[in-house]
Amino acid sequence: MASFDAVNYSLRPSKAIQRQLVFEGIRKLHERLRLSDSVYVGLGSVWFTDFVLAHEILNINDMISMEVDDIGFARAKFNAPYATVQVRKGSSTDTLPELLADRYINKRPWVVWLDYDGGFDEGLMDDVKLIVENVPSNSTFLITFNAHEMNYGNAKERPERIRQLFGDTVPDNLSKKKCKTPRLRHTLAGFAVDFMKSVAATGRRKEAFVDTVQIVYQDGAPMVTVGGMLAAPETVNKIRDAAGNAGWRCRPERVIRAPHLTIREALALQAMLPSEDSLNRDNVQEAGFDLKVEQIEIYEEYYREYPKFAEVRT
Amino acid sequence: MSDITAKKAKASPTKEFFVNMITRDITLEDSILDLIDNSIDAAWQMAGSHAMTLGDDTDLSAFKITLTLSEDQFTISDNCGGMTLDNAVDHAFSFGRKASQEREEFSIGVYGIGMKRAVFKLGKNVRVRSQFRGDNGSPLSFAVPINVTDWLADERPSWDFDIVEDDVRSEYGVVIIVNELTWPAKTAFGNPAFVENLRRMIARDYSLHLGRGLKIEVGDEQIIGANLELAMSEDFSPMRISYEDKQDGESVSIEMLGGMAAPPPDSVEPDDRFDGDKRFGWYVACNGRIVMAADKSSIAGWGTKDWPQWHRQYAGFIGIVLFSASNTAALPLTTTKRSVDQSSDVYRSAQLKMRDLSKVWIAYTNQRKQALEEAKRKEAAARAVPISLVEVKPAIALPSLNVQRVERPANVHYSVPVQRMKRLARALGNINLTYREVGVRSFEYTYDDFVGDE
Repeated sequence: MASFDAVNYSLRPSKAIQRQLVFEGIRKLHERLRLSDSVYVGLGSVWFTDFVLAHEILNINDMISMEVDDIGFARAKFNAPYATVQVRKGSSTDTLPELLADRYINKRPWVVWLDYDGGFDEGLMDDVKLIVENVPSNSTFLITFNAHEMNYGNAKERPERIRQLFGDTVPDNLSKKKCKTPRLRHTLAGFAVDFMKSVAATGRRKEAFVDTVQIVYQDGAPMVTVGGMLAAPETVNKIRDAAGNAGWRCRPERVIRAPHLTIREALALQAMLPSEDSLNRDNVQEAGFDLKVEQIEIYEEYYREYPKFAEVRT
Repeated sequence: MSDITAKKAKASPTKEFFVNMITRDITLEDSILDLIDNSIDAAWQMAGSHAMTLGDDTDLSAFKITLTLSEDQFTISDNCGGMTLDNAVDHAFSFGRKASQEREEFSIGVYGIGMKRAVFKLGKNVRVRSQFRGDNGSPLSFAVPINVTDWLADERPSWDFDIVEDDVRSEYGVVIIVNELTWPAKTAFGNPAFVENLRRMIARDYSLHLGRGLKIEVGDEQIIGANLELAMSEDFSPMRISYEDKQDGESVSIEMLGGMAAPPPDSVEPDDRFDGDKRFGWYVACNGRIVMAADKSSIAGWGTKDWPQWHRQYAGFIGIVLFSASNTAALPLTTTKRSVDQSSDVYRSAQLKMRDLSKVWIAYTNQRKQALEEAKRKEAAARAVPISLVEVKPAIALPSLNVQRVERPANVHYSVPVQRMKRLARALGNINLTYREVGVRSFEYTYDDFVGDE
């Protein structure tokens, strides 16, 4: 089933938070490196939520969405949010080589986000290789994939399956424990980053892959977003500094598992923030309702990124 | 006329030419292994320098070698006793070995070039530090700082490096710190696949030392030595022999083992297992250091006179030859220690035995095709034994099989999208099933549904 039939994107608060964090992170790096005239390449589906953020936060005009499904393609063209959004019919594997050969865009920095619902598989592996080896200098590249265990075979088979997917970077003695919930998602995120780095290092390009984003979030299934920049040698340290800074928010240690709040609940919590002391359960109960401690902590950490329902516009 | 004959045409090499020459044919990995070799030689000397045979049980557990690799710096440190000041002054930093130099017995370092070649390959700013026990028993420390760029630019004839005093540390040993890494080193050390492959290489090439307790750490991770094992049962027993030979008048001891390490593949089609036969083939060790691993090429002898080329059908076989000699120059080592010197006499005579052993295995893999079920049953009954526990036996023993005529087979070959293949494998119970296995099972399933019992 195509993703737009499966779920309404605007109802996934963790995903929305993750998206905000990522685009804010890219904005900081673009400012630091004084990058402009970027191109956005993604899988806009019929919602184009990431495209709206790319335009609003990163000021990107030229944007390309890839859509393989016939009906999806017709709907995507209808729903394209801006005049400068181009929808290309075809899979990413077929479309990306054409885009990489397009002289109008292949000298400018790209922001590519392959935001999938499925698990990391051979198809995504091929796309990662293609992008990391060929994307223009100082491009940002992100992938999102499903980290649910069963995408990677049963517990016994999983270490070998993971080795098949990520190759030499996976140690021969990868334990079964690292391939089970809850560690699997971080294991996958780590190997996906290592895989991107090793593809960049073994290719013939002078740019190194500098990782900047590693986020696990969960609305339904656990999802992993990892990415970074194909950094020209003179920009490597600037990117590392920015992404190693205490204020860098694209590598949270904990899984973003945002509570599903009603508008009334969200507004009540928001009215107590920012606050010098952390919000606790008593505060919430005093406000007239209740939440788990983890939910309160996540909300407090990300209330500025928590989706405001009025913002849903597509 | 006399004026002319008094002149000489200059032939002294420039440093730059020399450095380029010695570093061009060695890989980064081999340079790092060269440094590990030096540490191991020091440890082996501390442990009493003798031949490393399989039966020998030297305890190396007191010794530790630690490597750190990052995009900015490389370090290696050991607690293997350190290099003496005399050694540093006279030998360790000179290029090549003087004929008069006293040898380290049963060592792996041969040409007196490893450390210099390695550091030049790695970076431009080097500091070699050593702490050793002085004659009066107290610790002495010194350092040799090398600024490669300045050293190359200095055209005066002396190629010497300065030796300076250094702080006293807690352990006797050598520390080498390399900064201002070369571009290839920088790129490689930032590549997780390179680092993981280096760990694999260390686990394999030093498996005999690691098995004796030596500790090697790469980036906080202790390396576990690869196990070389051969299968034994009533039907299967590996060959294990030992003999003495001479190379240029120097004696060399040889141990040779070989047999089944794993059952051969059912199919010889190239399949989806990317590392299907990676560990099989011939291994050669010189004074304990594995210099050739899982060889399937003409270097071992495959595809040379009277010895068929390697074929997937032969997978499952492992053969090991250990050469040891007090004089390292008698060993069949190449300068990179990544292969064997095929012109070596001791190696060439060993090759004849290697060939004969390989051919017995080849014959078995041919025969088993006609008695596959029986062979598989017998193979499954064999258990893996570490090579050091394999019994001495002049020849390999393999099961005799009741060969039966098989019905003429039909071979099937077709392509489907990999995602669909993986989905079907998962539905059939194991996402890692080989494509062949998925094919066979879906054939059986369909056959049962549409044809059933005849």
